[in-house]
Amino acid sequence: MEKKDQLFKQIFDANSKKIFHLCYGYTGDEDAANDLLQETFLKVWQNLDKFRNKSLISTWIYRIAVNTCLTYLRSEKRQAKDELTDNIIENRAEEFSEKNEQVALLYKSIAKLEENDRLIITMVLDELPYNEIAEISGISEGNLRVKIHRIKQKLTELYNQHARI
Amino acid sequence: MQEFDQIQSLWQSHSVEVKISSDEMLSQAKKEVAGIRTRSLLNIAGMGLSFAAIAALLVFFEFDAGVATQAGLTIILIAIAISTFVLYKDHKIISRSDFTQHPNAFLSQLKKYQLNKFTIYNKLYWFYTIALSLGSIFYFYEMLENLSLWIQIAITAFTIFWMALCATILRRSYLKREKERLDLLIEKFERISKQFNEHQ
Repeated sequence: MEKKDQLFKQIFDANSKKIFHLCYGYTGDEDAANDLLQETFLKVWQNLDKFRNKSLISTWIYRIAVNTCLTYLRSEKRQAKDELTDNIIENRAEEFSEKNEQVALLYKSIAKLEENDRLIITMVLDELPYNEIAEISGISEGNLRVKIHRIKQKLTELYNQHARI
Repeated sequence: MQEFDQIQSLWQSHSVEVKISSDEMLSQAKKEVAGIRTRSLLNIAGMGLSFAAIAALLVFFEFDAGVATQAGLTIILIAIAISTFVLYKDHKIISRSDFTQHPNAFLSQLKKYQLNKFTIYNKLYWFYTIALSLGSIFYFYEMLENLSLWIQIAITAFTIFWMALCATILRRSYLKREKERLDLLIEKFERISKQFNEHQ
């Protein structure tokens, strides 16, 4: 039991920040991201004994987080993208620096993407290797490269569009 | 005009702060389950106390009245004892498994607990109320004999009013609250288990 607790702590410390970032990028809401982070690590805790080292533990956790985010958004019939965007802006209204404004724009642009594209791009932004992204998203590496290229273009376009407004 | 590389460096420069530690996270999750267990235990403790109080009354208090009073108190005591035993059996369902160790087993126990709770508050409740009313009738039959008519009416009316209130408004609102609480917990655990089975 002690050993499991210790292992969990190590895993949490090593991965929680990235997972929180992923959840935050996906929901644009700090509280929701926090809930999703907790749910993800709760699953990790419950299934730690079943982890078979077939893949990297970080990939395994990422995959859980991705599915947690997707299920959460679908089952809760989360806010429409416009509402999500308002949330991001509202959350960040108190921070006026130019950089924060740019970050808010980035989240706003990510929120405009399709659900699956949002997840793939957050992994790309976090510089996950393509083979890991392919494993997590269940898309073949060949198809993934094409998809990522398209999502990158779309995101850049959206970001620049918003920046002009 | 920004390029993707610039967008990526912006993403990476945005630092996020995780506000919860691994210990806090686990204890928070455990607290939700502990809350249901504590409420269930408090319920049993309350019934136990009532049993002890009435038993003490029966054993230590010398009644001038006759058999009807003793019979009334005995019926009430038996009703409380049976109900406490059923509540204890119900409590054992959720006290056995630890959800952090055996999540799926815990989930099925939680569903069983919810179903049992409804049976208790729909069927057992009426047995309990009828037994309690019968016991009270016997008890008051002799105990109120020496009091004035108005006090007799007041006590009888209050008892009827209190039982009716418990059987209707209080029982329904308790059931509703408990159902919402358990539904939320079950939904959460189901979401966790389902997703995991899908993507193992």
